[in-house]
Amino acid sequence: MELWNHCENPYPFVPNEVLEAAPSVRASLPNKYCDPRIAARLYDEVFDEYRLCDDIGLHIVTNEHHSGINNLWAASPVITGIVARITSNVRILSLGTLITVRPDPVRVAEEYATIDVLSRGRLEIGFVKSGATEMVSGDANPMRIREREWEAIDLIEKSLTTHDGPFSWEGKFFIHPHVNIWPRPYQQPRPEFWAATSDLPTCSELGRRGMVNTLLFGGYERTRQAFDAYKKARAEASLPAPSEGRFSYMAFCYVGDTDEEGLRIGQKIAWFLTVSIKSAPQFAKFQPGAIVPEMAPAAWRSGVSRRPRPTNLDAEALVGQGQMFAGNPDTVAKQIKEFRRRVGGVGHIIMMTRQGLVTHAEAQNSFNRAAKDVLPQLQDLPPLDADETAWAARREAAAK
Amino acid sequence: MTKEALRIGPHELEVLRRGRGRGRPPILLVHGISPIGAAAPFLDLLAETGELVSPSHPGFGNSPRPPDFDTMYDLVHLYLAVLEEMPGGRVTMIGFSFGGWIAAEIAACTPKKLDRLVLVDPVGVKLGGYLERDITHFFNTSPEELNRRAWHDPAKRPQGTYGLGWQTAIDAMSDEEMIVAARNWDALCLYAWRPHMYNPQLKHWLHRIAAPTLVLWGESDRIVTPEYGSIYAELIPGARFETIAAAGHHPEIEQPQAFVDRVARFLDGRNQKAPTE
Repeated sequence: MELWNHCENPYPFVPNEVLEAAPSVRASLPNKYCDPRIAARLYDEVFDEYRLCDDIGLHIVTNEHHSGINNLWAASPVITGIVARITSNVRILSLGTLITVRPDPVRVAEEYATIDVLSRGRLEIGFVKSGATEMVSGDANPMRIREREWEAIDLIEKSLTTHDGPFSWEGKFFIHPHVNIWPRPYQQPRPEFWAATSDLPTCSELGRRGMVNTLLFGGYERTRQAFDAYKKARAEASLPAPSEGRFSYMAFCYVGDTDEEGLRIGQKIAWFLTVSIKSAPQFAKFQPGAIVPEMAPAAWRSGVSRRPRPTNLDAEALVGQGQMFAGNPDTVAKQIKEFRRRVGGVGHIIMMTRQGLVTHAEAQNSFNRAAKDVLPQLQDLPPLDADETAWAARREAAAK
Repeated sequence: MTKEALRIGPHELEVLRRGRGRGRPPILLVHGISPIGAAAPFLDLLAETGELVSPSHPGFGNSPRPPDFDTMYDLVHLYLAVLEEMPGGRVTMIGFSFGGWIAAEIAACTPKKLDRLVLVDPVGVKLGGYLERDITHFFNTSPEELNRRAWHDPAKRPQGTYGLGWQTAIDAMSDEEMIVAARNWDALCLYAWRPHMYNPQLKHWLHRIAAPTLVLWGESDRIVTPEYGSIYAELIPGARFETIAAAGHHPEIEQPQAFVDRVARFLDGRNQKAPTE
C-alpha cells in the first residue's frame, strides 16, 4: 500500500466574525482578507513539507480550488511544476486541474506533459468533476459538466498519446483543429489517470477504462459501493479483475505519538468541514445542474449540501465513520487495515493532514510518524479473503 | 384553457392556449424564466384582446429538451417554425424577460411576419462598459437579493413559482412544482449562462425590426433597469418605451390590470407612432 500526503494549503487566518457574517467563504469572500505575506509563508511551509515527504517516502497530491479560504493552490499546474522540481523520489498526483472550468484541455495536456518531463516521469494525472463555487469563480456553465469532463479527458488522453503530427478535434464542448503538444510526456504511453468520484455510473466507467478510482471521505459503505461498481463493470466487460492499486481513498489523518495526541490534533482538521466549506445556497443546492430535478424536493427542503457530509464532526466519530484515521502509529495502521478489509481492498491512502488549524510542526511530526511507523505495517499485506470482506459488508448492512 | 401539445418537426412543446381571435392576429406569448402559469391573473384579462398561445420552451415545464438542444440559436429556429405553424399570416408577439430576448431575436430575423411586438423587461443586449453589469446575474445572486431586485414590493411577492427570487418561496411549493422549477432553472442555465442573458451581436440587428414595437418596463425593476430599457428601445426603429408604476421585473404579475391596459391600448393602435426607417 502507498501513502500520499494531500494538503490543500488552507488559509485559516480570516477573523471569525468576518467568516460568520459572510454568506459564503468561497467565491465571494473579498480577497482583502488574504494577506499575501501570510500566504507566502504558507507556501514555503507546505513546500518544505513536500520536501520532507520526498525524503521519507510519502507521495504527494496537489490540487486546486478557487477563491476561498480552504485552498491557496489556485492553479494546480503551477504548484505541481514546482513540486516536480523540488522533489526527486516520490510520485506526484495532480488531483487535479479543474478541466470542466478550463476552456482548453489541450493546454492542460501541455502543462501535464511538461510536468511529467520535469519530474522524469513521476506524474500521475487526476481528474475531478468540480462544480459549485468553482463554476462561479471560473464562469463555467454548471450544466452538462459530467459530459464536458469526459470529453476533456478524452482530448487530454489523445493529446498525450499522439506523436505523429497534428490531429483535429471537433467535439461538442471543445474544438481544436491542430493539436500537437511539445514536449510529449516522459512516461509512455502516458502518465496514470485517476479520478475522484463516488458517483456509481462514473465509477463503472472508470472501471472500464482502468483509471484509478479515489473517493474523498466516502466512509465505509459508500466507498465499498463505489469500488464494487468499478469491479462489476470490469467483470461485465470481460476485463481482468482490478488490483488494489486501482483503488484509493482520501481521509483526514493525524498520526500522533499517542492516541490522545492523534485525536486531539486530528480534531483541528475538522475546521475544513465546520468553517471552510460554508457556501451560499445559490452556489450549492440552487445551482443549476447541482441535482437531478427529481431530487429537488428532498435537497431543497432539507437544506443540505448536494454531497453527503459527515453529520458528527467529533474526531472519534469521524474515525468511527471511516472518514478519519487518527491515533498512535499502531492505531492508525490498524484503522487503515480495517478500512481496507471493509471496502474490499484499497491500494492508496491519501492523508489529509495539514488541514484546518493543524500547524506546520504538527504536520511534519505526523508525516514522520506515518512514514516511519505506519507505512511499514502496510507493506506486503496478505490478500484479502473475499468471503470475509463480503461477510463484513453483509454485517454492516444488517446493522443498519 | 388547458395545456396541450404543439408538434414542431421532432419537437413536442407543451402549450397554453386561451381566448379567441376577435379578428386580430393571434398573440404568441414567449415566456421568461418559467412557463406562464395557467392561473396568472393577467391571462384572462389579456385573453379579452385576442387568442393567446404560449408554448413552454424545450426543457421548461413539461416540454422535453432533445439532446444538444441548448443554445439561443436552437430556440430562435424553433420559434421561427412556431410562427410558420400559426394560422392567419401575421402574429403579435409578447416576450417577457428571457423570453423578451428570444422575441427580439425572432423579430430581427423575420421582420415581416410580425404584426406587433411587445417586449416586457427583456434581456438580450449588452449596453454598458466592461465593468457595468447591465443584467443582474440570475444564478450567482442570492435568492433574497434577486427577490429585492425583481419585485416592487418583495413582501407582496405573489404565491407560486413564477419570477426571479422563486427560491425564497419554496416552502409553499409542492414536490411537483419543485421538480418543474428545477427543470426550468437548469434549462435556463443551459441557454443563457454565458454570455449571461445576452447575445453580443443582437444589438447590431435590432434595426431590422419592422413591426410596431412597445417596450414595457416595470418602473422598479432592478434586475434590468428602466434606463437599460429606454436605450434598448432606442435601438428598435419607432419603438415606444413605457413604464408601469409599482412593478418590478414581472409587471404582468405585479400589476396585471395596468399591464393589460397598456398592451391592449398598444394593440388597438391608440398610442402608436409610425416606425421610422
